[in-house]
Amino acid sequence: MSPKVKDALRQYWPLVWLAPFGIIMVAAVVLIAITIRETPLVQDFMTTYPGHTELPESAPVGFPAWLGWAHFLNALMLLLIIRSGWMVRTVQRPDAYWTRNPAIPFRTRNSPKKISLDLWFHLSIDVLWVINGVVFFVLLFLTGQWMRIVPTSWEVFPNALSTAIQYASLSWPTDNGWVNYNSLQVLAYFVTVFIATPLAVITGLRMSPLWPRDADRLNKAYPIEWARAIHFPVMLYFVLFIIVHVALVFATGILRNLNHMYAMRDDESWWGLWIFAASVVVMIGAWLAARPIILRPIAQLTGKVTKN
Amino acid sequence: MRIIALIKQVPDTGGERRLDLTTGLLDRDASDKIIDEINERALEVALAYKDANKGTEVVVMTMGPEDATGTIRKALSMGADSGIHIADASLVGSDSAWSAEVLAAALQREQFDLVVAGNESTDGRGGVVPIMIAERLGLPAIGSLDSVELSDGSVRGERATESGSMTVSSALPAVISVTERAAEPRFPNFKGIMTAKKKPIGVLSLSELGLSEASGGRSVVLSTQERPARTAGKKIVDDGSAAAQLADFLAAERLI
Repeated sequence: MSPKVKDALRQYWPLVWLAPFGIIMVAAVVLIAITIRETPLVQDFMTTYPGHTELPESAPVGFPAWLGWAHFLNALMLLLIIRSGWMVRTVQRPDAYWTRNPAIPFRTRNSPKKISLDLWFHLSIDVLWVINGVVFFVLLFLTGQWMRIVPTSWEVFPNALSTAIQYASLSWPTDNGWVNYNSLQVLAYFVTVFIATPLAVITGLRMSPLWPRDADRLNKAYPIEWARAIHFPVMLYFVLFIIVHVALVFATGILRNLNHMYAMRDDESWWGLWIFAASVVVMIGAWLAARPIILRPIAQLTGKVTKN
Repeated sequence: MRIIALIKQVPDTGGERRLDLTTGLLDRDASDKIIDEINERALEVALAYKDANKGTEVVVMTMGPEDATGTIRKALSMGADSGIHIADASLVGSDSAWSAEVLAAALQREQFDLVVAGNESTDGRGGVVPIMIAERLGLPAIGSLDSVELSDGSVRGERATESGSMTVSSALPAVISVTERAAEPRFPNFKGIMTAKKKPIGVLSLSELGLSEASGGRSVVLSTQERPARTAGKKIVDDGSAAAQLADFLAAERLI
């Protein structure tokens, strides 16, 4: 065997046992869930906690167009943020560097720091992402849409457990996302929007050149090492969330679900799917366009792009 | 004005570079082949003048294997007008003197006001070829310029000396080489990349230059050795004698 093949084998060896192990684990969870679901105790529990909590009377029904837009822009920018962040982390010799023009957008006391074009792209999309997020938050609270994704009673936890049992026992909840999410969804969306997102922003900000470098007391209270330790796992959370989210959206009534978020309608027409498909085309286009030859001229608008 | 920039295909310093241990020649397939960065800077000096002075023509010239066309295309995409590629199987493993002789012969066929080169390549690091070319052409040469000011009939610039720097100048035509401080190379843009495909590249063989063999002797690589693996450094823990140990170390390495 050539050394290359040996290396590859060594590298992928865990997969040889991890894959069957994973399948067995999933099968075991499903079997256990089906078994306990039949017991009177769990039956009783699931009657008390059907898997979703009642919404306040004033909760809106359905989704407005701004939410669809915010969702699409968020998906697009999250994709680019993860990609560029991954490059910031892995690329050892960046293709180009960017130094901010000291007068754009405003003069600062410290001279601008030279950063890689990958980091410039990461930070630029971050800014757009945060703006989109601020608009989303403001509208979310102005329109009462927040009630859909913020738990308003502790019963969300037993209900989420109930939903989890329903998913695990392959007898999936038949809920109506147009009106009310199931409790597992509420928790997942709440964690993503109100915990993971602020964490990503605050840890990213700590590592960015925007952070005050000389604020000694602040920097001692919030060391950059913490930010480094948290930022990456938060990205992993987002990736995991996206995989599970997309998989469940597809598996639990793809046409209706996509209509909710992409066509703002509650039926089984094909509108949502086509708009979603178009959004995927835009995302692929953005992914392909995010290369140095296109990024350089854009970066040059606000600074100097150099090879070293 | 007509400026000829000399460029060279070199292995990317970012990767592992290898010599063929039996022939002593560069193993070109072991790493990415790129235009030497110092040549990009030399070319930038020429292109900057071209940007400011309409009617300037910038030609790039290289001597190298067939696939060195790639480095010429890169230079053309940055803005050079045409390329000259000296490609001949018998030039494999050519030393500095022989390379300079060939390049000088090719330059003699051309009209030019200035030849601009890098001060030394990242692979050979000889740094003598530009001066040898000037000698063969009987032209003034200024080596290792940190800055270049080009005007209609003369070139001037600053070069570092052991104790400071000096400003030197020469009438044109002349041969100069530049250091990495001379210019920050531009990136090719879309238009440059597209038009580079249509720009002419002339290919020359040795016989077309009227050469067949080096006029002097040829350097031959006698032996090649793999670089020994790096050994771990020595850690000095201060038990009271660290200063003396450090001093001894520096003395042993002849650094003090």
